[in-house]
Amino acid sequence: MNTKRTFFFRVALILLLVIIAALMFIIGRGHTVYFDNKAIEYNGQSIETPYKIEVTVKDERVAKLYDGERGMTDTMGQSFSMIVEITQEKGGDPVAHAVSLALPYSMDGIILNIPAMMAGLPADAYLTEFIPTPDTETEDEDVVTDEFATDEFSI
Amino acid sequence: MSEKKKKQRVSPAEVLRNNTVPLMFIVICAICIPLSGFSPSYLFNEIVTRIGRNTFLILSLLIPIMAGMGLNFGMTLGAMAGEIGLILVCDWQIVGIPAMVLAVIISLPIAVLLGWFCGTILNMAKGREMITSYIMSFFMNGIYQLVVLYMMGSIIPIRHSNIKLPRGYGIRNTVSLLRMRQKLDKLIPLKIFGADIPVMTFIIIALLCFFIIWFRKTKLGQDMRAVGQDMEVAKDAGINVERTRIISIVISTILADIGMVIYLQNMGNFATYSSHSQIGMFCIAALLVGGASVDRASIGNVFLGVTLFHMMFIVAPAAGAKITGDSMIGEYFRVFASYAVITIALVMYETKKRRARSATGQQLALEQQREQEAA
Repeated sequence: MNTKRTFFFRVALILLLVIIAALMFIIGRGHTVYFDNKAIEYNGQSIETPYKIEVTVKDERVAKLYDGERGMTDTMGQSFSMIVEITQEKGGDPVAHAVSLALPYSMDGIILNIPAMMAGLPADAYLTEFIPTPDTETEDEDVVTDEFATDEFSI
Repeated sequence: MSEKKKKQRVSPAEVLRNNTVPLMFIVICAICIPLSGFSPSYLFNEIVTRIGRNTFLILSLLIPIMAGMGLNFGMTLGAMAGEIGLILVCDWQIVGIPAMVLAVIISLPIAVLLGWFCGTILNMAKGREMITSYIMSFFMNGIYQLVVLYMMGSIIPIRHSNIKLPRGYGIRNTVSLLRMRQKLDKLIPLKIFGADIPVMTFIIIALLCFFIIWFRKTKLGQDMRAVGQDMEVAKDAGINVERTRIISIVISTILADIGMVIYLQNMGNFATYSSHSQIGMFCIAALLVGGASVDRASIGNVFLGVTLFHMMFIVAPAAGAKITGDSMIGEYFRVFASYAVITIALVMYETKKRRARSATGQQLALEQQREQEAA
């Protein structure tokens, strides 16, 4: 009886850990979101850029973009909320929009084309994956496996 | 009654002898602090940060001491497990506190396995646990290097080039933990005298302290103390000595694993191939500086040790630079001091043990002589 109970508790503990791990996988996924203020052509429709776009995430302004510029922020989790302030013309009044969207789990870096998104185009028009330029390192890094290293990392 | 009081009274020389190492460090710090020229607020900030960073790791040493296994140099194994967990979560792009939790969960089975292995080996080397665990940490470092340097990227999938070596397999010398840096420390923000207090880390440390206090009172904790006092007597009392010793090492390895994750989240990056190798040495040195010995250590020793040892670490380079004009002297001094303190503590422990043994022998001889005379 006692052995059975111990076994049950062990299985329950392992199960609990697996569930927590799965949860951490989902809520802890980090993404880098890039914001573009660039003109775009989509199905013959051309979207022009406004004079200025300001992006605020969690009460912090993360990007101020003029024509052709790109900004970025790091985020955690699959849902992303931001406030986009658009100033159409120089000297004009900015108009704020609250935007929420789901980020694809598989993408580390996500590019959001803000003018296309605000124009109401579908996700495939304004959301693309950021693919970093391939590694150009030709020389290998010398691996230091010194067991007696006394640098700052060791203490 | 007066006899009892006489026995309880400890001479100043005895107090000095029992606290040589902490007193030595208090003197070193008292000399070095004014020489270093650091402001009290800077020192306070640094000490608070280092207490938060190191205490959990040092606390992981207490349970094997309780079980009479001495200072567990094998805690390095737990640190290695924690690092493997962190490498994997970094590659999976998990960030913040979830990354820490996931790293701990992933590394948990590795830590348990390594702890069990370490405990089993130490059971084969009873009475020589410290040197065995020390050498075992070198052996396990080789296995760690095999896994991290050759298997990660080739057998264990690693996708990101900022972690992977340019040759396509193996992990770079430094892994960045920038996206989880001080996330735990700053979860509950609090500033006192301009210093950031890592409230959440302190809460976790406090929970571990309560766990250790509670654990000492449990059946297993009592068994460990019995095993630590006398293995033969414990065996006769029906305690499974070998199993109890293995459990103590497994718990220590798991705590070292969690401690390493907490330590590295504070640092924000780690040297893949050397971070763990010195951690055991510095934690043990800090514990000994706090007045602990091979067979006796308390939570108070941990806090006193981490404060004194790291105070010396902070002020020694600057004081060395002031005295000699070369900051490297101070750097060497602090490394030399940490090895020296372990040596002194071990020598003192052996001397004390021999002295006690010889006193018991003399007492026995005296009693035999008296009996013979009476007869």
